[in-house]
Amino acid sequence: MEEKGRLGIPRALMFYRYFPFWHSFFERLGWKVMVSDGVRQKEKIVYFEDSCLPMKLLVTHAMQLKEKVDHLFIPRLVSIHRTYIMCPKFRGAPDIVRLATERKVSIIDETIDLRKGGISLLQSFLRIGERLGASRQESKKAFREAEQSFSQFQKGWTDRINRLPTRQLFEMDIATPPAGRKAPLRVAFIGHPYNLFDIDINKDLLALTKSLGMEIITSDFLSEQEIDREVSGLSKEIYWSSGREIVGSLFHFLSGGVDGVVFLTSFKCGIDALLQEFIKRRLKVRGGSSIPLLILSLDEHTGREGLTTRLEAFQDVVEQRKTENI
Amino acid sequence: MKVTFPHLGSMHIFCKAIAETAGIPYIVPPETSRKTLTLGVLHSNECICLPFKMILGNFIEALQMGADTIVMVGSGPPCRLGLYDLVQKVILEDMGLHYRWLTIPPRLTWQAIWKNHEETKELRKELSARNIFLFPYGLWMGWKKMMACEALEQLAMKVRPIEIKRGETQKRLKKALSWVDEAKTPRVLEEAIQKGKALLQEMEQDRSRIPFKVAIIGELYTVMDPHINRGVEQKLGELGVEVTRTSWFSTHIMRSLRKNKADQTSERTRFFEASKAYLGYDVGAECNVSVGEAILRSKEGYDGVVHLMPFACMPETTASGILTKVGKDWDIPILTLILDEQEIEGRIQTLLEAFVEMLEWKRRAA
Repeated sequence: MEEKGRLGIPRALMFYRYFPFWHSFFERLGWKVMVSDGVRQKEKIVYFEDSCLPMKLLVTHAMQLKEKVDHLFIPRLVSIHRTYIMCPKFRGAPDIVRLATERKVSIIDETIDLRKGGISLLQSFLRIGERLGASRQESKKAFREAEQSFSQFQKGWTDRINRLPTRQLFEMDIATPPAGRKAPLRVAFIGHPYNLFDIDINKDLLALTKSLGMEIITSDFLSEQEIDREVSGLSKEIYWSSGREIVGSLFHFLSGGVDGVVFLTSFKCGIDALLQEFIKRRLKVRGGSSIPLLILSLDEHTGREGLTTRLEAFQDVVEQRKTENI
Repeated sequence: MKVTFPHLGSMHIFCKAIAETAGIPYIVPPETSRKTLTLGVLHSNECICLPFKMILGNFIEALQMGADTIVMVGSGPPCRLGLYDLVQKVILEDMGLHYRWLTIPPRLTWQAIWKNHEETKELRKELSARNIFLFPYGLWMGWKKMMACEALEQLAMKVRPIEIKRGETQKRLKKALSWVDEAKTPRVLEEAIQKGKALLQEMEQDRSRIPFKVAIIGELYTVMDPHINRGVEQKLGELGVEVTRTSWFSTHIMRSLRKNKADQTSERTRFFEASKAYLGYDVGAECNVSVGEAILRSKEGYDGVVHLMPFACMPETTASGILTKVGKDWDIPILTLILDEQEIEGRIQTLLEAFVEMLEWKRRAA
């Protein structure tokens, strides 16, 4: 198929979960997908608004791409779950980028709201296809194929995290290498996907973790029922899907199955701030957990050295507990 | 049973009137103070929004004074306000404080009623038939008082910039509000309202002054509660500014009762429509209204806009980013004040003085 043009996807926010899907959808429609590079230096961050670091990075990445592409893809993610919603900042994200780029680049900001029913995702992508000049049939076919390759990708996700350098996780043409030596410790990493996999946010904490001999598992590893079990009995429903995932998987892992739990939060993240307090208090009220928990708050001033020290100390605690228990 | 409720502007007058008229024992939490805030800050973390900390402080103080039942308005997604109760409950439990909690649902849905069922069952046992019988009358009385408070406050906003003795309006407003608060029967209340209005109108005024017109917009708690915003409304007024705001207790009650249906031309709807030039979706809470109001106020010839928000507020952070552009596009000065627990009263005074001075230059240049 001939190339129709270039479509830019900023390496930020939900890129770190849905990129395989988006990538395959647009490639199948004949568009060349361009992804922004990392930022690496904090001097390069664009401060358009005073938000959390992940949101500032979205603007920064969009600015990197704006001259190189025909369209920017920044979907308006209202809800990615049939009942629960996303953080309100996601609803205004395309508008913020539009103002930051001075309305000079075309932004595909189709609303994605899965609360509207089973086929609403397909409908959103049909509209996206329409904006890119594809017929309904073409879009539908591309969507089905994207769905397939996404579920394929998800199956190998835990292996991919543990066997590939963090930067290459979303390089679609790099295959997952075969299993290496088994790591002695199993640690669960909890948090928004961008906090876990964006090395500009966490200074490649995952590489550090692996080099210290820990195997990483994430909440993608759990089924929705397992996550729901810990959060369904609350006096009020947590209505953010990411918040439910964080609280649910955190309590799940703290009840067993891993040697330690690390919770990564962004400074100024409203959801994390509130739920972090909830998690700490609830643990205390319930009498604590025997599994060590490390909470790391990240922003643009976070240094690699500080993180290394804390992670090494955490490793000591985890190892000590393990030898005591045997 | 002793009922308590959080502070929000003069909302305590409304809640007190209901409890008093229906004969339900209650405790009004002490006026929000530095101590209240310190308590709230101590038991939460730095990125939780300021209203959360204030309300938590109110509850801790009230529970320590002997209250045992907390009544709190609930709210829905997407903002954090809707989950305040979930987190505050576990914080109070961790502190070893005993309480019962009643959330008034923002919209009466079956799910909301079901979730409240357990708590109300307990409470109903302690209420006498007389309490329940008098409750609607209490609500009516409370509503009357609330409307009276708002009318008085609006009047004060009008006369404050032209007062001759600085601070006189505030003194008189306080007195008038206390009359409303103390009224026990509808007749006394009616008298109190008339007396209060007269008190404000009879004050010495300098009618030759032409006050600046400034609209206060932003997150509702910070706009409505003088303790949270450190008296921005009063400070601006005393600098010679006629302040307007569209966020009132009654606005939000009516909105949640969906009374605004007939109100398609209401101000909020107009603001929301105006925001569409910048925002393609309802971000939640007051975000879109803030953006739209700034645009329309510029068209209406206002001199400036003051935007209030708590630090790390999710919807208003988006609004503040957009407002910087709105200010440029529509040539209207917008001052965003981000409020947190720091001692910033002096800084706010300085910022407001500079803002008003800038308005003066702008007026002179025109």
